[in-house]
Amino acid sequence: MSTKIKDKILNTITYFASGISVFVLGAVLVFLFSKGFSTLNWDLIVNNYWSQNLLGTVDSVGGDYTISEEVDGIYSARWGIALKDNVNSQKEKVIEVTYIHPESPLKTMLSSSAGDNNKEITLEDGYTIQKIDIVTSDGIPTFTGKIMSQDAATVISNIDSAQKITSIYYKTTGGGIRSSLITTLYLIVISLVIALPIGVCSAIYLHEYASKSKLNKLIRQGIETLTGVPSIVYGLMGVTVLFPVTQLFGATTTSILLGGLTMSIILLPTIMKSTEEALIVVPQSLRDGSLSLGATKSQTIFKVVLPCAVNGILTGVLLSIGRVIGESAALIYTMGTFINDSPKLLSQGTTLSLMIWSFMSGEQPNFELASAISIIILVIVLVLNFIVKAIAKKFTKNFA
Amino acid sequence: MKKLLSLLLAGLLIAGCSSTPTNNENGGETAKPNTSASVINVYTRDGSSGTREAFEGAIGLEELTQNAIEVSSNGDMATKVGNDTAGIGYVSLSTDFEANNIKALSFEGVVPTVETVLDGTYTMQRPFAFVTRAAGDFGSDEKEQLVAAFIDFLQNSTEGMAIVESAHGIVDMTKGTPWAELAKNHPIVTQDNSAITLVTAGSTSVSKTLQAALEAFQPMAGNFQISMNQTGSGDGYKRVLGDEKDGANAADIGFASRNFKTEEDVTNAMTTGVYCIDAVVAVVNKANSLTNVTGQNLNDIFAGTVTSFTDVK
Repeated sequence: MSTKIKDKILNTITYFASGISVFVLGAVLVFLFSKGFSTLNWDLIVNNYWSQNLLGTVDSVGGDYTISEEVDGIYSARWGIALKDNVNSQKEKVIEVTYIHPESPLKTMLSSSAGDNNKEITLEDGYTIQKIDIVTSDGIPTFTGKIMSQDAATVISNIDSAQKITSIYYKTTGGGIRSSLITTLYLIVISLVIALPIGVCSAIYLHEYASKSKLNKLIRQGIETLTGVPSIVYGLMGVTVLFPVTQLFGATTTSILLGGLTMSIILLPTIMKSTEEALIVVPQSLRDGSLSLGATKSQTIFKVVLPCAVNGILTGVLLSIGRVIGESAALIYTMGTFINDSPKLLSQGTTLSLMIWSFMSGEQPNFELASAISIIILVIVLVLNFIVKAIAKKFTKNFA
Repeated sequence: MKKLLSLLLAGLLIAGCSSTPTNNENGGETAKPNTSASVINVYTRDGSSGTREAFEGAIGLEELTQNAIEVSSNGDMATKVGNDTAGIGYVSLSTDFEANNIKALSFEGVVPTVETVLDGTYTMQRPFAFVTRAAGDFGSDEKEQLVAAFIDFLQNSTEGMAIVESAHGIVDMTKGTPWAELAKNHPIVTQDNSAITLVTAGSTSVSKTLQAALEAFQPMAGNFQISMNQTGSGDGYKRVLGDEKDGANAADIGFASRNFKTEEDVTNAMTTGVYCIDAVVAVVNKANSLTNVTGQNLNDIFAGTVTSFTDVK
């Protein structure tokens, strides 16, 4: 076969391969956006996941709150409240408040939860009604609402015909991903703070100081093998080996700190490898020049060689961030699957990918919400990439 | 040799190209319905579904036919079977059969209703069971009392039962007592409990009913904190009484969407029981004349050995 044909075949293969990658990437993006874009909105990002559950004492017989304007949903003039059947982002049926009269007895109430000390609570548009305790016209105490699988029309007719309302149990708007967003950033910071110095320093040792002995070769081989270990194994190791370490800091359950420690171990090989690659390409002449000017070896390494390698190290950081954001298996064991609205260092939490896992593992997989979160993840990765690239540009010293 | 290799590679790439993206785009639909009316179209749920697990367990299915069409949710199943005169599938009992144009099949001669599920004659069902830590092992007295109060609310109160039912669990509402009466036995609920966190573990299938009940109980019992770590039935026992009860994943109440096994010894628990039942119903299109199936029938149909409704006896 002639060289020409050979070249053609090889060319075709490369075109083909890149075409496929572009096609798959496009297909994934189209899938994510078609499924998730409609769910995506600002409320999803800033709201808490858990709604607050509030129980208010009403003890009122109602009044006359007739309004002139049209409101969405079914309006009860006696109670000054309009309700509508709706479906929330978790695909559950809810009875939503669409309008509440400012003077309605249901607008401002005293909380009847123990420990709240009769705090004032309010009912706002968008909140969902769970249960309304009423006394029927025959004087029998009973309740109505979503927990009896009733719809908005039934609830309105029940409270309209009741003698009085004694208390009301409602939920604030929830279903947001704010906490997971924070936890994700938290985890990135913790794992990088631990893994970056250790990884960079050990790479410097292996490349600059270590002699070419059999032992060092073995160590390097071992580190490279670590990249291939499934992350779930790291997770199991984390919960058995590292948990006692976090206990010293006062952790009682799996925690973000434990997740961060585990992630930093997963990241070590990546950071070491990319740092070492960066050190290799720093020209030997720079080292020789520095040494011949009388600088010590450590001065040469930390003041001449390392600044040249910043670009490569930051590439390692980028890869690490991607790894942290995308990880889920190891974190199920080390951070738990509970979506925590106030994530702290020693409390449980979920990252965005773990949140996707929990939405998809339930009885009714929620593709729409999972895709919406994926879009947000893509945006975060993109933004972080730009930031890291900007930092790299600022710090890179071009000696060559 | 090299040329051969590169050609082979190109061939592989083409093959890969044709199969990868299609999987992506239709959300995991595995087969297309057959249009000929005489051939049964088998509908099944996605692999993570608890309903599927319960159904396949009840009929003893070992391997699902490759022609099964996968749907993504209970509602999706009802709609698809309702639109396919040759379709058969399974949904949970709380589904609106009439509105979806589907018909619930009797199983082993028993009509699926709330009553037959509760008295146990309808056997395609599974319990949602719970188990707590051993008495005195909760870390604090308040927590122990709170757990006891919650279990009482979940299992015995009218409100708790109504909440579980609205989240599609099957309960015997006639046995409920108003919470106002039960609360008298639990003085703990009148205190500020915001420093206490109730941790649950176990089955993911119970999530909906459990979350609804916990959230409703929260304002009634001094705003305690909730931490739900549902990972699977196997972890329910393990994390409250088994190996992991003092580990990082320890929990106060464990759940299983099945009865606890003999090797899961729950006698040490402060309390254990079943708080609701989940029933699975085999459904066909309303136009289908089939009214009753046996476990063997369903096994044959879902394994693909019987492919026509006329062969179902």
